[in-house]
Amino acid sequence: MSVLTIKDVTKLFPGGTKAVDSFSLEVADGELVCLLGPSGSGKSTLLRMVGGFETPTSGLIAIDGEDITRTPPEKRPTGMVFQSHALWTHMDVAKNLAFGLKLRRLPADEIKRRVEAVLELVGLGGYGSRRVTQLSGGQQQRVALARSLVLEPKILLLDEPFASLDQHLRERLREEVRDIQQRVGITTLFVTHGQDEALSMADRIVVMRDGRTEQIDRPDVVYRNPQTPFVAGFIGTMNLIEGTVSNGQFTRAGFSHRLAIGDGPATLAVRPEALDIVPAEPGAGKVHRVTDYGTHGLVDFDLPDGKRLKAMVNQPGQFQHGQGVNLMPRAVAAYRDDVQVFRSAP
Amino acid sequence: MSTTAVKIRAPIDWTGIVFAVVLTLVIVAPLLVVGTWAFTNVWRFPSVIPQEFGLKFWYQTLARADVWSSITMSLTLATTVTVLSAVICLPAAYAFARLDFPGRDILFFSFLAGHAFPKFGLLVAIAGIFLQLNLIGTFWGVVLIQLVGTLLFMIWIPVAAFQSVDRKMEEAARDVGASPFRVFWSITLPQAGPTIAAAILLSFVGTFYETEGAWLIGAPQVRTLPVLMISFINNQPVIQYGAVLSVLLWVPSFIALLFARRVVNSGSFAKGFGA
Amino acid sequence: MTSTEAGALAPAPTQRKRPIGLLLVAVPVLLVLWLIIWPIISAVIQTLWLPTPDGGRTFSAESYEFFVSDPYSRANLAITLWTTGVCAVLLLVICLPIALYLRFSNSKIAAYVQGLAIFPMFVPSIILSFAFIRVLGPNGTVDLLLNSVGLPKIKSPYLTPWGPVIGLVWDNIPLTVLILLSGLGNVSNQAIEAARDVGAGRFALLWHIILPRISNSILVAISFAVLGIFSAFTLPYVLGPAAPEMMGPFMQRTFRDLFDPTNAITQAVITFGFCIVFGLFYVRSVAKNRTP
Repeated sequence: MSVLTIKDVTKLFPGGTKAVDSFSLEVADGELVCLLGPSGSGKSTLLRMVGGFETPTSGLIAIDGEDITRTPPEKRPTGMVFQSHALWTHMDVAKNLAFGLKLRRLPADEIKRRVEAVLELVGLGGYGSRRVTQLSGGQQQRVALARSLVLEPKILLLDEPFASLDQHLRERLREEVRDIQQRVGITTLFVTHGQDEALSMADRIVVMRDGRTEQIDRPDVVYRNPQTPFVAGFIGTMNLIEGTVSNGQFTRAGFSHRLAIGDGPATLAVRPEALDIVPAEPGAGKVHRVTDYGTHGLVDFDLPDGKRLKAMVNQPGQFQHGQGVNLMPRAVAAYRDDVQVFRSAP
Repeated sequence: MSTTAVKIRAPIDWTGIVFAVVLTLVIVAPLLVVGTWAFTNVWRFPSVIPQEFGLKFWYQTLARADVWSSITMSLTLATTVTVLSAVICLPAAYAFARLDFPGRDILFFSFLAGHAFPKFGLLVAIAGIFLQLNLIGTFWGVVLIQLVGTLLFMIWIPVAAFQSVDRKMEEAARDVGASPFRVFWSITLPQAGPTIAAAILLSFVGTFYETEGAWLIGAPQVRTLPVLMISFINNQPVIQYGAVLSVLLWVPSFIALLFARRVVNSGSFAKGFGA
Repeated sequence: MTSTEAGALAPAPTQRKRPIGLLLVAVPVLLVLWLIIWPIISAVIQTLWLPTPDGGRTFSAESYEFFVSDPYSRANLAITLWTTGVCAVLLLVICLPIALYLRFSNSKIAAYVQGLAIFPMFVPSIILSFAFIRVLGPNGTVDLLLNSVGLPKIKSPYLTPWGPVIGLVWDNIPLTVLILLSGLGNVSNQAIEAARDVGAGRFALLWHIILPRISNSILVAISFAVLGIFSAFTLPYVLGPAAPEMMGPFMQRTFRDLFDPTNAITQAVITFGFCIVFGLFYVRSVAKNRTP
C-alpha cells in the first residue's frame, strides 16, 4: 500500500507564480522515489510541502492515510536532510542526534543507545563527541542523515543532499545512502537535478518541469522510453531533430526517415548509440569533430542547415573533420505537440 | 496565469500589526506632537487639539539673535571638523587599505580605543588635559574634541571602500599608461566615492548633533544649536521656541536619513558595531 | 603629494614594508594617542598623585576615598548602575522580539516595522528629550488624552529616574535591533527547519537553537548599550532628577560648575573601571569582525 499520497497539490507563490501545479503521486512502502528536474521545476517546493515547510495552496498530502496537509513540520512523521546539512554547530555530533529524542522525552539510556546505533549505521561509530565543525563535508552529511534516521520517521526527505560535495564523494555517498535506505527499508523522497543520481538510486523517477509531472517511471524506462521531448532531452544525450512529416516520410534538410504518422510537424528523437553513420560523399551530414574515448568514439556532425547531431561509433578512426556521412537511425521515437506519437520497436 | 478555483490566503500578520501599532505610537507619535507644537499659535490645556494653528512662532524664533548665531556656529563647527577629518583621515584610510607598513594592524585597531570607554568619562579626562592648555571654552577646543569623535568612522568606512576596489582595475589602468596619481583620481576614487561620501555625510551629521563635548568644553562661549536647545528646554517657558528649533534641528538628520538609509539597513553597518 | 601617491599605488605583487604608509597615518594616530590614550593614562596619574601644598605631587588615594565615603557620590553611582541595568534588561526584552520578528517574517508589515525600529537613529537625542517632555511631561499629550476621557493625569516620569530610562531605551533601540538582527542572520533557515523537522516547537527553537547561536551578538548589544548608557549625559541631564544624578551630569557639574577637575576625573576613572569588562569585550568583538 502507499505510505505517501500526494493528490492534486498546487502551490501558488505570492505574485502568482505556480511553483507546483496539480501534482499527484503515490509512494509505496520502502520505495525510493526521485524528483528530478531543472532548477525552478518545483521539485524542492514539493518536497518542502511534504516536510511541512510550505503549505499547499490546494490539494492533499497524506501519510499512512492520515491527512497532514496543514500539520506543522514538528508534528509530522517526516525526516529531512537538507542540502547544506544544517547541523547545529553549537552542539556536538551526539547532541545533534539526541536533540529530537530529548524533545520526545525519551529516557537518557534509550537516547544513548539509539544515537550510537544510528551512528554505527552511517559508519560514524565513536564520533559522538566530535564537534560538527571538525568533520569533513561527507561526514557532516552522514550526521545529517543520521539525525533524521534516529527519529525513525515514516518518510525520509532528501533535498539535494550531495550538491555541495565533490564528484568523487558524491558517488560514494550515493551508494552508501541507497544501501542504508534499503537496509532500513525506509520510504524515501529524494530531490535532485542530477540525472546520474536519479538513474543510479531511484526505484522510480518523477521528471518535473514547471511544477508539473512530465513522466513517472522506473529509471530504465525513463531512459529508454521518454514520454515527452523534454524528458528525452533532459535525461542522457539525445538528438532531437525538428522536421516535417508528409506521406509517411520525415524530412529535415536533406535527411529523411520513414515515419508512419500523419502529416505535419514532428520531432524525431534518436540516442547517439542508436544512430549509425557511414562515410558517404557528399552524404547527408558533414563531420565536425571526432572524439575518441578508447572504448568507443563520438562523432559530432552537422546537417546542411547547421543542425548538430551526435553519433556513437565503434571505430572513430574511420571519420575525420569535413568528411561526408549518411545516417541511419536504428531506434527512434517521434513527438508531436509534446506527446509521443511513435516509437520504433525496441 | 490560470488562477482557477485556487485562492491564495495570505495569513494576517497579527504580530507585525501589533509591533507596527506600538512602535508607531511610541516612536512616531511623540515626534508628531513636537511637529504640531511648532505650527501652533495657541494650545492651552486641556484642549486635545491646538486652539490656533499658525507660523507666529517661526517668525519669533527666527528673529532671535541667539538662534542665528548658534546655527552659524553649528554649521561652521561641523564643516571645519568634517573637512579636517577628511583631510587627515582619507590618506590614512588609503594607506591602511593599500600599503603595508610596520605596526599597520595595531595602529588600525588603535582607533577602537575611544570606544572601549564610556564616552563622557573620556570627555572629562580630555577636558582635564584641555584645562592645562587653556582650550576650555574655545572654538578650537570643541573642534579637537569633535574631531576625535569622527576618526573611527572616517577611517574604517573608507578603508572598506578602498579595499573593495579591485586591484586589477588599478593595474589595468597602469597598464594602459595612467600615472599612479591619475589611477587614484580616475579609477580608485570614483569607485570608492559613494561609500566615502556616505562616511563624510555621517561625520558631518554626527558632529552637527554632538552635544556632550560641545557642552562640556565649549559652553557657554561656544553655543551650538543642540546646546541652545538644552537651555531652551531648561529655561524657556515658551514651548513653541523649542518645537520650532527641534524642527530646524532635525533637517540635517532628515537629509542623512534620505541618503544613509540603505547603508544602515545593510548588514555591513551593524557588523561595524561588532555584531 | 605626487611622490606619496607613487608610493601608494605601485602595484605590489611582492609587498615591501613601506614607511611612507606610517607618514600617511601619522596625524590621526597621533590624535588618538594625544586625545584618547594620554588622557586616560593622565587621568589615572592625576588622580593618584595629588598636588601637595608645597607645589610637589605625592601618591594618594584621597580623591577615591572621598568618592567612596561621600554618600552623595555613592548615591549617584547607585542610580547610574540601576539605570544601566534596567535599560539593558528593557532593551533586550523589547529588541529581541522585534529582531526575531524581523528575521523570520517576510510580510510587508515587517519592512515598516524595521523602518520604525531604526528611525530613532535619525532623531538626535535632544529632540527626543523635548518630545518626551511634551508627551509624558506635566500637561503633556498623555495627560491631555486621559483628561479628555475623564481619567486622572499620569504620574509623570519627567525628572524622575524613569525619565532617563525611557529616553535611553528609546535612543538605543535601533543599534540593539541591528546588532541582534545581524546575529540572527547567522542562524540559517535550514538549521531552524531541521530543528522543526525533528519536532522542536517555538520555545525549544528559541532556547536550544537560536539563543545559543546569537549569544555573542546579545553580549555585544549589551556591551554597546552599557558603554553608551553608563556615562550618558544629555538625556539624564535634561530628563533626570537633580539629585541623585547619573554619572554623566555629575561629572559635568563637578568639572564645570564646582570647578573641581580632580574629583571630576576621579569620577571618570571610576566609570572606566565599571565599564572596562564591557569595553574590552566590545572592542574584541569588533576587532574579530574586521581585519585591516
